[in-house]
Amino acid sequence: MEQGRTETAKPEVAEGWEPRIVGFLCYWCSYTGADGAGTARIQYAPNVDIIKVMCSGRIDPELVSTAFAHGADGVMVCGCHIGDCHYINGNHKTMARMPLLKRLLADLGIEPERFRHEWVSAAEGQKFAQLVTEMTEQVRKLGPLNWPGIMHSRGVGHGQDLRPWGE
Amino acid sequence: MTEAMTRNEQVRGEEPRIGVFICHCGGNISDVVDVRRVAEEIGKLPNVAISTTHMFMCSDPGQGLIQEKIKECGLNRVIVAACSPSLHELTFRRTLNRAGLNPYLFEHTNIREQVSWVVEDKELATRKTTRLIRAAIGRIRHLVPLEKRHIPIHPAALVIGGGVAGLTAARDLACRGIEVTLIERGDHLGGRMADLGHIFPTEDQANDLLRPLIQEVLATSKIRVYTHAEIEESAGTIGDFHIKICVGANGKPGEVVEAHVGVIILAIGLEEYAPREGEYGMGLYPQVITLLDLARELVKEKPGQEFTLNGRPIRNVAFLHCVGSRQHHGVHRPGPQGKINDYCSRYCCTGILHSACELKKRYPHLNIYEFFEDIRAYGRGHEEYYTKASEEGVRFVRFDPLRPPCVEKDPRGESPLLVRSIDRLTENMEVEVPADLVVLGIGLQARDMSKLIDLYRCSVGADRFLLEVHPKLRPVELAVSGVFLGGSAQGPMDITEATAAAAAAGSKAAAMITQGEVEMDPFIAKVNEDLCTGCRICLSVCPYDAISRDEEKGIAIISEKLCTGCGTCAASCPSNAIQQLGFNDAEVKSEVLALLGVPEQEPVGA
Repeated sequence: MEQGRTETAKPEVAEGWEPRIVGFLCYWCSYTGADGAGTARIQYAPNVDIIKVMCSGRIDPELVSTAFAHGADGVMVCGCHIGDCHYINGNHKTMARMPLLKRLLADLGIEPERFRHEWVSAAEGQKFAQLVTEMTEQVRKLGPLNWPGIMHSRGVGHGQDLRPWGE
Repeated sequence: MTEAMTRNEQVRGEEPRIGVFICHCGGNISDVVDVRRVAEEIGKLPNVAISTTHMFMCSDPGQGLIQEKIKECGLNRVIVAACSPSLHELTFRRTLNRAGLNPYLFEHTNIREQVSWVVEDKELATRKTTRLIRAAIGRIRHLVPLEKRHIPIHPAALVIGGGVAGLTAARDLACRGIEVTLIERGDHLGGRMADLGHIFPTEDQANDLLRPLIQEVLATSKIRVYTHAEIEESAGTIGDFHIKICVGANGKPGEVVEAHVGVIILAIGLEEYAPREGEYGMGLYPQVITLLDLARELVKEKPGQEFTLNGRPIRNVAFLHCVGSRQHHGVHRPGPQGKINDYCSRYCCTGILHSACELKKRYPHLNIYEFFEDIRAYGRGHEEYYTKASEEGVRFVRFDPLRPPCVEKDPRGESPLLVRSIDRLTENMEVEVPADLVVLGIGLQARDMSKLIDLYRCSVGADRFLLEVHPKLRPVELAVSGVFLGGSAQGPMDITEATAAAAAAGSKAAAMITQGEVEMDPFIAKVNEDLCTGCRICLSVCPYDAISRDEEKGIAIISEKLCTGCGTCAASCPSNAIQQLGFNDAEVKSEVLALLGVPEQEPVGA
């Protein structure tokens, strides 16, 4: 797997490059937590753009791979803490899926640091802000991802495929 | 209705014509985000028919602008970029509705809480705003008209708590012909109020008011009353709760009774602040008691006789305000949960003034002192107690909240205790007052409600009381629908306020029951029968057991009533046969793609 990585030369980091990170947030806890950061005027990095879903259980791994395949340098998934899910235990499914997805992504040439799965409650605005800033710096260190390029160099997909592992 | 349906059919066939309305929020957004530049850039995107800004989009003129443009430009999709959707999504859905557009052809982009309030850099904030609206455009292109769900409400209510609030709510519901189950954890109805004598501001005897209320509740065939009762299990959601109640007796676990109800009122009340050992001499000196201890004493005492405590005549009484309320970090020690009570308990100023007046009336020779931080006799008829106490010669000492008074043994032995304080009313003079009795005006705090919080997913405030949806707009509703706040589980209240809250909760609950149904968002999951392979994966992930398998057809079936719209099944369906309305694959995926700047490829609406 590591071989595949070295075949692709990392693209030059363009001047003014900023990490592009997609954040999938459940509405009841994490999205409300993010709102809380705003209400408290906690400043954080602008790089994580939020996509709202009702429950983190809705986050299909395919959505994450879609983001990576189309230019995201990182993806964050946030849901209610275990035991706090608005939908009883929707987040238990998230808890089962995400570690598996992380391994799968690693197999597909994506550094594990580009994907982060965290629990953020409606009261944890401060935590959310901190996570976003941490994640942004983490991805900044790794540089741009260019996953379509990596996959293409391995003879998989053609850069625009929504399902890079072919389905 | 038919007109609306026809319009919905039309929209499905039309090319999207999107209106984007960006709010300045009076500068909250536009001081950081260059909203005009955003509007200009968004206006260049395909399918955007109009992109404009307004100072306050939620105002009447702002909503008027949206309605006007829907008609003028023939819009069939609307995006509002403003505050958080939790505040105004509903407002704008209604705006669409008024303009004859299906309210679910709307997308609310959060550019205040999630952009202008958290990003200082104007350029970065402006770019982020553009990206988020672009994402909304990706999503909204795929939205289809949806209809609200109608959930039937079982015409019965559960009231938890048999204090004055619970009794009021139960009585009010029963008066409207609604079946009520009233459960009380303790051994008697009437709660804390049953311990009191005269109550402010009406000077009624508490039990003269309670007794008829309790009798009315017990006499009504509509109300089933259980004491020593607690919820054991609760299943179901709004309109259809199935609750198992454990009814014990004398501490023994008893029988389990069941209640099938449509709505629940929480009237569980609160608890008194318990001063810790040594706080203002509590526990060290028998002469230190709480305000509620005094109230219970006064019920027993006969007016006209001498006021005694433990056989010793009392001449000097000191009241201390704000004990366990309005606490300060560094001055007061946190409670067991590591929190201080930094809020005002609201009942105690008037409670103390009222007790002082009562004592003066019965025993005019008493010297009474009040040590206070501020006097907050805010209610109707409350200020009068302050005036009266002042006239009757009650002496007021205003302490510094950071240097509260101290209670100690009188070293000279002339009086059992001394209360020392500085007095801000006399330029911080040191004041020393002899006391035969020290009465602590204890505050109120939330009781341990962890089980109910867990069962009904209640929001809890930083003060540990339950949190309403909105203090002004929806003051007695919890975010969990079908559960109402009837009284002081929501915050410190006096009897007047608690009964008002209970009556409000009762009438909200009754309205829901009378209506017979509630409208709910339509974001539930649907099965495409042609794609479903009947693999049963969705059955195993649904948190609500809302999915069953039609063995004849070999496919999954989702119960509309049980589905709450989490979308977990949609994410786990290997054949993409399950789609969550409002969050289907095309909608969410296009949102991601548009966010990342991938141009839309497939035409929509064709």
